[in-house]
Amino acid sequence: MNPIDYSDSLIYIVDDEAPLRDAISSLLRSVGMQVASFPSVAAFLAEPRKEITSCLLLDVRMPGVSGLDFQAELNRDGVALPIIFMTGHGDIPMSVRAMKAGAVDFLAKPFRDQDLLDAIHAALTADRERRQRDQARNGVTARYATLTPREREIMGLAARGLMNKQIAAEVGTSEITVKIHRGNAMRKMQAKTFADLVRMAEALGLA
Amino acid sequence: MLRVPRTPWMSALLIFLMLLIFAIDTFSPLDMAIAVMYVVVVLISASIWGRRGVLQATASCIGLTVLSYALTHSEVFSAAASGRLLVGLLAICVTCVLVLRGQAATNALLAREEALRRSEAFLAGTQRISKTGSFSFKSPGGEMYWSEEAARIYGYPLDLVPTMELVLAHTAPEDRGIVQAAMDQSLRGESEVEVRHRLLMPDGELKYVHVLARPRQTKDGEIEYLGALTDVTAAVLAEQALHRSQVQLAHATRVTMLGELAASIAHEVNQPLAAISTNGEACVRWLNRPQPDLDEARSTVTAILESSARATGVIKRIRALARRSDPQQAELDLKTVVEESVDLVRRELNNHHVALMLGLPSDLPPVLGDRVQLQQVFINLLMNAIQAMAACQPGQAVLTVQCQLNADGALQVSVSDSGPGIAPAAVPRLFEAFYSTKEDGMGMGLPICRSIIENHGGRIWAKPTAPDSPVTGATILFTLPVHEPH
Repeated sequence: MNPIDYSDSLIYIVDDEAPLRDAISSLLRSVGMQVASFPSVAAFLAEPRKEITSCLLLDVRMPGVSGLDFQAELNRDGVALPIIFMTGHGDIPMSVRAMKAGAVDFLAKPFRDQDLLDAIHAALTADRERRQRDQARNGVTARYATLTPREREIMGLAARGLMNKQIAAEVGTSEITVKIHRGNAMRKMQAKTFADLVRMAEALGLA
Repeated sequence: MLRVPRTPWMSALLIFLMLLIFAIDTFSPLDMAIAVMYVVVVLISASIWGRRGVLQATASCIGLTVLSYALTHSEVFSAAASGRLLVGLLAICVTCVLVLRGQAATNALLAREEALRRSEAFLAGTQRISKTGSFSFKSPGGEMYWSEEAARIYGYPLDLVPTMELVLAHTAPEDRGIVQAAMDQSLRGESEVEVRHRLLMPDGELKYVHVLARPRQTKDGEIEYLGALTDVTAAVLAEQALHRSQVQLAHATRVTMLGELAASIAHEVNQPLAAISTNGEACVRWLNRPQPDLDEARSTVTAILESSARATGVIKRIRALARRSDPQQAELDLKTVVEESVDLVRRELNNHHVALMLGLPSDLPPVLGDRVQLQQVFINLLMNAIQAMAACQPGQAVLTVQCQLNADGALQVSVSDSGPGIAPAAVPRLFEAFYSTKEDGMGMGLPICRSIIENHGGRIWAKPTAPDSPVTGATILFTLPVHEPH
C-alpha cells in the first residue's frame, strides 16, 4: 500500500497511556515502520539510541517531565532528533512554543492516521537529510585531519582561487612542490575534481 | 356521709331549726329531753360547715340547752329535769366528737381523691404533650389496658376495649411481621420488648411509633408487661427531611465538582477514543496488505474493545456522579473506589505535575457504603490537595493516599499533600460550611465530605501542620467502619 521503504528507519513513541501507545505502534508497523515505544521519558533515555534515521513521537503532557521541558533538554544536549508532539488538548500557546523550539509537527488527539504518517514521513526525511549532511561533514573533517600542515595551507590557498605560481610565492617554495602537495591533498581528500576540493574547503570553513 | 350544698339558705334553715328546738324545749309543757334533738343540728352542721362551724353549732346548742333549763327550772330543782339536761348535753357532746371525727376522715379521703385526680390529670397531660401513651397486657392471658393517649396514637376511640388485634389492624402492612414477632415474644414472657414500626390510620395517615415494654411479676403470679408507646412521627419526618436535603446538597456540590473536572473528564473520554480510531485505521491497513495480517488485525480489534470498555466505564462513572439518587448501601472495596476516583482526576495530576503515591493494601476488609458518595469524598480531597500544591516547585508536589486498619479496627484513610499546609488557626473551622481557605472556594467541599463520612458511621478530621516540623503539607484523615457480613 505504502510504496516507501521504511526498513532503515526507527520511530520512537513516548506516551504514558498504554492503549494509545500500542495503537500508534500497530498503525506504524502496519505500514512497515520499525517502532520502539516507551511509557516515559526516563525509559526512553535509558535505552541506547540507534544511529539510523529516526524521529520521536512525544506526548506533551505526561507525569514527571513535561514534553516541552524534555524537548528543551534534548536541544541542550545537542540531540537533533525531530520531534512530533501529540496532545489531548488543542493548546495553541503550547504548540507555538513547541514549534519555535524545533518541533516538526503538533498533532491533536484524536488525529487522522494520514496526518500522523505524513508528519512522520516529513520528520524522517528531515532526519535523513541531516544525517547525510552530518556524515558528509564528518568524512571531510576526518580526511582533512590526515593532511600535513603544508598540504592544508596549500589546499586553503588553492580553494581561495590562487594560481600555483602565486601559492609558491606565498609559501616560498617552487611551483613543482606546490603541484605535488596539491595532488596529495586532492588524493587524501578524495576530491575527484578541483571543484570538489573547493566545496570541501567551504564545508570546512577554509574558504 | 350526707353531703348538702353549703348555701346560706341551709345555714339559715339550720339556725331556724336550732331556735325551733329551743322554743319547744323552753315553752312546751312536754316533760321530755327535747334537747336531744339538738343532735340533729350538730349532725347537719357537719355537712354544711367546717370543723369550726360544727364546734360553734355545738357550743350554741349547749348554750341554748342550758339557757332553756335555766328559764324553766331555775326556781324549782327537779332531779328528772336535771337528768334530762345531762343526757341532752352528753348526747350533743358525743355527737359533736363523732361528727368531727367523721368529718376529718371524709376530708382526708376527699384530699386523697383530689390528689389522685390531679396526678391522673398530670399524667394524661404529660402523655398528651410528650405523645407517649402507656399500656399494659398480661401474659399469657393477653388482657390489655391502654391509656387515653395510647388509644389516640393507635387511632381508636377512648372507650374501646384494647386488644392486640386492634393494634395489628392499624399497623402498616409492611411492619405487621415485626409487630407480631414482638407480641409473640412478649406472650412467651421473654424479657424486654422494643420495636419501632409504622401505623397506618384508616384515613391514610402514616405514624412512626417507638414501643418499649418491660415485664413484671404481679401478685397473683402472672407476668404483666408495662409499656410506653411514643409517637415519633415528627422526629422521623424531620430526620428524613434533613437526610433529603443532605442528599440534594451532596448532589449539587458533586455536579459543581464535575464542572470543575470537565477538562479532565473530556481527556479521559478522548484518550480511549483516540486509541479506538487509531486502532481502527491500523486494522484496515493490516487487512489491506498484500498478505493480510490477521493476527495483528485481531489484536487491534481486541484493543478497540478494551478502549471502548474504558470509555464506557468513564461515562458510566460520570453519569453516576451526576445522577441524583438516594444513597445505595453496598459492600465496597475501598481500593477500587480510590482507583476509580483517581481515574477522574488523573489529568489534573498530570497538568500540575503531581506525583501520586497510593498506599492501598489489596487485602483491605470491605466497607458498607454508597460508591458515588465515597468517590465524591475522594475526588474532593484529591482536588483540594492538588490545588494546595499549585505553587510547589516542579518535582516537589507529592500526593499520598494511604489506607490501613487503625487501633479501633476501623479503616483509616489519609490524604496528604506536600503543599504549604493548613494554618493551625484554620483547622477547627475547616469543616464549617462556607469557610474556605481558597480564594474562589465555596466552602462546601469539606462540610459535604464530613456529612457523607458521618452518615457512613465514620469521622473526618484534619491534622494541623506542626510549626517546627520539617515536613510541610496538609493531611486529612477519615475513618470508615469495617463491614462484617453476617
